[in-house]
Amino acid sequence: MTPITPRNILRHELIGLEVEVVDDSNPYNIGISGRVVDETRNTLLIDDGAKERRIAKEYATFRFRLPDGTLVEVEGAKLVGRPEDRVKRRIRRW
Amino acid sequence: MVDREAREIALERIRILFRLADEVFHQNPERAQRYVDLARRIAMRVRIHLPRDLRRRICRRCKGFLVPGVNCRVRIRQRREPHVAITCLRCGAIMRIPLRRRGDGEGA
Repeated sequence: MTPITPRNILRHELIGLEVEVVDDSNPYNIGISGRVVDETRNTLLIDDGAKERRIAKEYATFRFRLPDGTLVEVEGAKLVGRPEDRVKRRIRRW
Repeated sequence: MVDREAREIALERIRILFRLADEVFHQNPERAQRYVDLARRIAMRVRIHLPRDLRRRICRRCKGFLVPGVNCRVRIRQRREPHVAITCLRCGAIMRIPLRRRGDGEGA
């Protein structure tokens, strides 16, 4: 078992996590929160309960709630990449 | 090169995605299929096999996510050699899993 931790979140699964957009170049997107339901190379699709909102990763900052309850803030730019590619990349940084 | 950690994370992600696929299938089968496709891609990327239990949830031919009783038929067949036959009701492919193989957990 390799659960999601703040250390490996860049390489781990984002779909299914609770997330809040804490910053974005588009101010209307700030504050959107919900569950990640899909991921592409450049975007996250977030179900906020009423609607599915697609947010570009690159210009946003996200706060994820990990399954153990920990909150982690992640710059979206660090998440850019196809979901299946993220698992490999980033050989230890920060 | 794929380091060990990448494989461990990959396996965990694959399990997460299959769990989500099961949860969401009822409401949104396309999304369930998307999750399973992602899981397969992750497995291929780090070059690991899907674990056996999960491999049987995917049609070997059309790669569709199989939910017994909904889009696949699971039957035990005794003819010739006892086996489990899983028929994908979407593409019609039949997967046969032989039973009773030197206690390696195959079948069941």
